[in-house]
Amino acid sequence: MKTKLLAIGALVGALGLVAVPQETPKAMSATYGALADSILALKRTETSFVLALLEGHFQAARSHYEGGMGEMAAAEMALFASEGDNSIAGVRKRLLEGGHHHHADDEAKGVYEPGFVVVTKAAKEGALQASAAMRRAKTDAEREAAWKQFTAVAEPLLRG
Amino acid sequence: MEAVHRRRGAAAPRLIRILPLLLTLLGGCGGSEEPETAAPAPAFWFVDIAVQAGVTAPTWCGRPEKPHLLESNGTGLALVDVDADGVLDLYLVNGWRLEGAEVVERGRNVLYRGRGDGTFEDVTARAGIGDDGWGSGIAAGDGDGDGDVDLFVTNFGPDVLYLNRGDGTFDRAPDPPGIDGWSAGAALFDADRDGDLDLFVAGYVECTLEEVLHAEPTLDWEGMKVMLGPFGLEGEANRYFVNEGGGHFREATEESGLVDVGLFYSFAVAAIDFDADLDLDLYVANDSNPNYLYRNDGQGHFQEIGLWSGAALSADGAAQAGMGIATGDVDLDGRVDLFVTNFAHDTSTLYVNEGGCLFTDATLDSNLRAATYLPLSWGATLGDFDHDGRLDLFVANGHIYPQAERVPDAAGGYGQRNLLFHGEDGRFTEVGAGSGPGLAVQLSSRGVAAGDIDSDGDLDLVVSNVDAPPTLLRNDTVPRGAWLAVDAPGALRVEVRLGGTRLVRHAVHGGSFLSVSDARFHFGLGPVEEIDELVVVWSDGERTRQAAVGVNQLVRVTRR
Repeated sequence: MKTKLLAIGALVGALGLVAVPQETPKAMSATYGALADSILALKRTETSFVLALLEGHFQAARSHYEGGMGEMAAAEMALFASEGDNSIAGVRKRLLEGGHHHHADDEAKGVYEPGFVVVTKAAKEGALQASAAMRRAKTDAEREAAWKQFTAVAEPLLRG
Repeated sequence: MEAVHRRRGAAAPRLIRILPLLLTLLGGCGGSEEPETAAPAPAFWFVDIAVQAGVTAPTWCGRPEKPHLLESNGTGLALVDVDADGVLDLYLVNGWRLEGAEVVERGRNVLYRGRGDGTFEDVTARAGIGDDGWGSGIAAGDGDGDGDVDLFVTNFGPDVLYLNRGDGTFDRAPDPPGIDGWSAGAALFDADRDGDLDLFVAGYVECTLEEVLHAEPTLDWEGMKVMLGPFGLEGEANRYFVNEGGGHFREATEESGLVDVGLFYSFAVAAIDFDADLDLDLYVANDSNPNYLYRNDGQGHFQEIGLWSGAALSADGAAQAGMGIATGDVDLDGRVDLFVTNFAHDTSTLYVNEGGCLFTDATLDSNLRAATYLPLSWGATLGDFDHDGRLDLFVANGHIYPQAERVPDAAGGYGQRNLLFHGEDGRFTEVGAGSGPGLAVQLSSRGVAAGDIDSDGDLDLVVSNVDAPPTLLRNDTVPRGAWLAVDAPGALRVEVRLGGTRLVRHAVHGGSFLSVSDARFHFGLGPVEEIDELVVVWSDGERTRQAAVGVNQLVRVTRR
């Protein structure tokens, strides 16, 4: 019985009665391509979102600094450094648990902390130091120095 | 203000307290427990008296090989006077013992009644307080407003609220607040300033008993397979309950703002007035995630400010693995500072309070970096153990992986030596190795509580250990000065003025790791015979003042 079936299969194949697929159907690769556009667009959207979030903290910090409210400025600078507060850190944790790393390679190299999108590890440290300096500043000159330290870190990130 | 009783102090040290000094002066002619023969007396001397004190119950936590994260948790303990006899009692929270996928013993919590001489009697059955859930932590306070101390026990499973009948025996609250899951630290504190105690419970990880029983080690560590987590596991949400009177609580997590926004892995909690605005703020140590700091607006509404307060991350911006919390004014500026313990091969962190809920990582400047780097640290407490007027620091250590025994480092393996730091003007020196046989114990320790168990005026320590009885560290240090203890229930802080010096102790609800220390305010005073002024600050800002207070006594202060 088994031998008979094999012989029939060979015959059918030789006569080309069944089309053996040589490539993935075009429609499927086109759909996957469109899906890739969406996936990559989502990643770009994530970058845009985080940049908007950072811009908000940056402008708030600037406003507080220019208004002479050093402690409030320092707080916004710290939130810039951390790409948002602990509620954002919670979202980041969810993404990481789901396997999404925005900069997987650079995380492995130590450039970014896990899940961070825009602020590098070095920039985070610099912005936090500037925030601490702003908080401790007792004179206008010290506040100005802290602000310069912060903008030197933050502005290149915001420019992308 | 009432002097309750005087006890032995600097003027009349017991022979045992000066024994280390005598042995040192005699050139070390004693047995194996005397200090090294170095000329100066050891700063501290602690002896483990657990067996002779009658404190022998082991506290279980799963299987010896620890394939699941739950089995690394350990359990907490409390030093609290449950029968109102003026003597501290000891409550041990207990877990379960497993073999393979079987539960072979549901460990019961144990209540030891203190006799006041450093010995204890097991009164669990009489007190009706031997819960056999898989225990985790403990909070203490007057939950039902009847004037005595109730106990809230966190479990892996439903939590339990034990209501004190007033004599140290308890009724189980029929419908307790809490988390039916893996809850860790908890604090009973008056969040909304209405005069009763509300409850915050930290959730750690979501998992089921089935998962625990059938767990296999799957994480690669040092060439071995060890337990998974906490990464890869779902965080259990923290919850807050407002007290509605009579031991009844209503969940109010969302409306209070005490939301676990990141579903982080929360362990220890401490409610304390960080910004000196007369309400209690809340700090939560999160494992492997930024810590939370919730600032109270005075009405029981909180804003989470951890990341910009400076108390959520290390100085270099890294989230650490927050385990335990110690609080106290280490730099004598009147503000309460924060010490947070972390995982092995990372430093614990000292956050110095700059006022206004702003903190700076001062670990390096305070000399705490090197000594805290290797061990895996848990419970911690700040107290003046030698009465020199400066806060010292005790840290309980122990690894979570039994496999650490195969790759020991200077901190030890699975069992690690606990650390004792002598404090001096904001800097700390680790002196544990020369501070008596009690500090040589190497187990996998977790919780720690401080209190005077033998009525001699100094702070003793009780430490919980995984799968072992607790260590009961009697403080036999030669005192460097006088002491004062102040019993002021409901006070936010107590200040002592000595010449130009002001010593401040802050009320803390929670802290350490899953454990509760004596709530009385303890001061080491240095070589003085009298205090210029004692000031008790209440939550409405009122102050009770007393001039020319004698030393070496327990003073009770109640609100008029």
